[in-house]
Amino acid sequence: MHIEIDEISKQFGTTAALHPVSLALPSGALVALLGPSGSGKTTLLRILGGLEFPTSGRVLFDGQDATGVTVQERRAGFVFQSYALFRHMTVFDNIAYGLNARPRATRPQKAEIARRVTKLLDLIQLPDIGSRYPSQLSGGQRQRVALARALAIEPRMLLLDEPFGALDAKVRRELRQGLRDIHDTTGLTTVFVTHDQEEAMELADLVVVMSMGRIEQIGKPQDIRARPATPFVRTFITA
Amino acid sequence: MSDVSLVRTPPRFRSATGESAGTRWALIAVAFTGLAILVFAPLIAVFVVALADGVAASLESLASRDARDAIRLTLTIAAISVPLNAAFGIAAAWFITKFDFRGKAFLITLIDLPFSVSPVVAGLCIVLMFGANSALGGWLVANGFPIVFAMPGIILATMFVTFPFVARELIPVMIEQGRAEEEAGLTLGASGWRVFWTVTLPNIRWALLYGVLLCNARAMGEFGAVAVVSGKIRGQTATMPTTIEMLYQEYLSVAAFSLAAVLALLALVTLLLKTALEIRHADQLAATHRP
Amino acid sequence: MGRPLIHRSPMPGLGLSMGITLTMLCIIVLLPIGALLLKGANYGLAGIWETVNRERVWAALYLSFRLSLLAAIFNLVFGVLLAWVLVRYRFPGRRILDAAVDLPFALPTAVAGISLTALYAPKGVFGQLAAEIGWKIAYTQWGIFIALVFVGLPFVTRTVQPVVEEIEREVEEVSATLGATRLHTLRHVILPMLTPAALTGFALALARAVGEYGSVIFIAGNIPLVTEIAPLLIIIQLEEFNYDAAAAIGIAMLLISFAMLLVINLIQVWSRRRIGYV
Repeated sequence: MHIEIDEISKQFGTTAALHPVSLALPSGALVALLGPSGSGKTTLLRILGGLEFPTSGRVLFDGQDATGVTVQERRAGFVFQSYALFRHMTVFDNIAYGLNARPRATRPQKAEIARRVTKLLDLIQLPDIGSRYPSQLSGGQRQRVALARALAIEPRMLLLDEPFGALDAKVRRELRQGLRDIHDTTGLTTVFVTHDQEEAMELADLVVVMSMGRIEQIGKPQDIRARPATPFVRTFITA
Repeated sequence: MSDVSLVRTPPRFRSATGESAGTRWALIAVAFTGLAILVFAPLIAVFVVALADGVAASLESLASRDARDAIRLTLTIAAISVPLNAAFGIAAAWFITKFDFRGKAFLITLIDLPFSVSPVVAGLCIVLMFGANSALGGWLVANGFPIVFAMPGIILATMFVTFPFVARELIPVMIEQGRAEEEAGLTLGASGWRVFWTVTLPNIRWALLYGVLLCNARAMGEFGAVAVVSGKIRGQTATMPTTIEMLYQEYLSVAAFSLAAVLALLALVTLLLKTALEIRHADQLAATHRP
Repeated sequence: MGRPLIHRSPMPGLGLSMGITLTMLCIIVLLPIGALLLKGANYGLAGIWETVNRERVWAALYLSFRLSLLAAIFNLVFGVLLAWVLVRYRFPGRRILDAAVDLPFALPTAVAGISLTALYAPKGVFGQLAAEIGWKIAYTQWGIFIALVFVGLPFVTRTVQPVVEEIEREVEEVSATLGATRLHTLRHVILPMLTPAALTGFALALARAVGEYGSVIFIAGNIPLVTEIAPLLIIIQLEEFNYDAAAAIGIAMLLISFAMLLVINLIQVWSRRRIGYV
């Protein structure tokens, strides 16, 4: 899905988290929102997911104004920084949650839900953990379950907030490849937030560098590396 | 200091951060004695006096009309006011923890206000607001819906004194748990109610139970506020605590203490359940209740 | 300009939760308190003063606040000791002791009242012992003091306990390595850390004691000018349908306890700022 951000701004009280920013994300791209904390990247992601109302501006999905579309109707697969797994549910129930939440008319049969959950568990290469609880999983496993849960609703896009933030370096590297693979098989437009320039450069097709609620530069990783547009970008990507 | 002796008698290492054994045991003894005199003795006394004439006499007094009416009324009052306060607590905790707005601290102060108001003053407030002398109260009485000296007044008084209980338990827990799980539920397409029932409620159930337990204990035991608004009409507005007072003043000590023993048992059950919750579900209670 | 009153968010249930919260807060708490204040306003400051400025009322208010203060001070000391013992020491019966601290919260005040009276009355277990040395407890101010200690007992312990748990051992160890005796460490390092929480508990115990009725009236004897507490005076006025006087005393109590809470909050803010530790 093609995503267009049109002059979106966001005020928190008297402070501006986002100055009007505009951005077009081509269908099927893997995009990194890169910036230090407080740069507005998470706010932008949450606006895309419908978790935050913009103060002004529009969001367009495939050319259609989606600004007023509720968070439930957006069908954005959202992976939270803390993963936000439902701690009182098994992994299976976590992944099935979105399907069970559908209105009766469109809700799949029980057996069909089970089939899809099993398939997703295979996709994240954790076929045997369906009956476990989130507290019994490692950090990396939790992250993958959160991803599977987001994919279960057949999302129109994938949004990830610091997906590898809480993991150690080795797991991080494995999961990066995992995300790349999932993106390539599903073909979903995927946006992830990160403060790690190496991660953004290595993983993304398109990198959006942000600072203080403004977009500093948009470009392919190699272009940004070769031609930083502002002094901020230059210092940030060499840091 | 004991550095020298440490060299000579190595086994007696004295920790740098503890008190000496003597001090320790002295303090423990003070704690035990204090609680024995202040807490255990009154608790035991209730049962001793209640059973002074034997179990049969005690049970007989509980079967009397006054006692049964009082027990029924107290149960009814609790059955109405506790769920209402639980509903309030959940709504208030949701409002306070899921949204950002100005004056939040002030709102919490207002919710806590009943803690710093004397129950008698609380009862007085309700009498002044809804009593037959006030404009509102007069109108209500004229229309056949008296509040003061009737059940609605007792419910209002009970709700006033127990008002903050559930909200106070839930707010810290819900702040700690954050909003991400609810947000995840929403992004997965669940409605607000569905998220509440399937995500929020299971996460706060033990804290909710904890608050409800305390709220219930206080609701069944409230005396001052109820004494003011109820009029203590036998068989109609006399709750267990006010009946205890009446019986006591009539020198029916076994009857008074038997009814008191029932409430004391309720208090013990409350404490037992509360302690069990603190042991088994500490991670899902407010941080201050973790042992 | 200006911050919006409520930050708009897609989180559901704003209207419902706000509606329930504010409606119930108003009906149950704010409007009744408003009715009391309104009654006072109609009665007028002069009227209130006339009611309060009588020997019997002054005596009751003075008694209530003085004994509440004494009971809260006792609970401050005993509560800190109890919190320390419960957190730091391991001994058989600790759990029971810990649970017992909450009994005054759970036991209805009327039950506590008649039970304490049974114990401390001249014929009671403790009353007899005291009588032997010529000490009368029930139906004197001592009785009121004991009842107020009982109801205020859990507050200090419960606010101080979590703070004791948070104290890092390193702080004590540093103090010891710097050559401080244990007593010096407790007095100059530990105690200041506990002060804000202890004061909070003290304030709560005080507020509770000032308004306490159920556990006190049975043991107090209720002799005007000697053992008559302020809440009882309100009830007496109400039973004589003297609403103006009841409201006047009620407002006086409300104002004095709010003022005390304010003072203690200020002390707390000051000590928290000085120590930078909650």
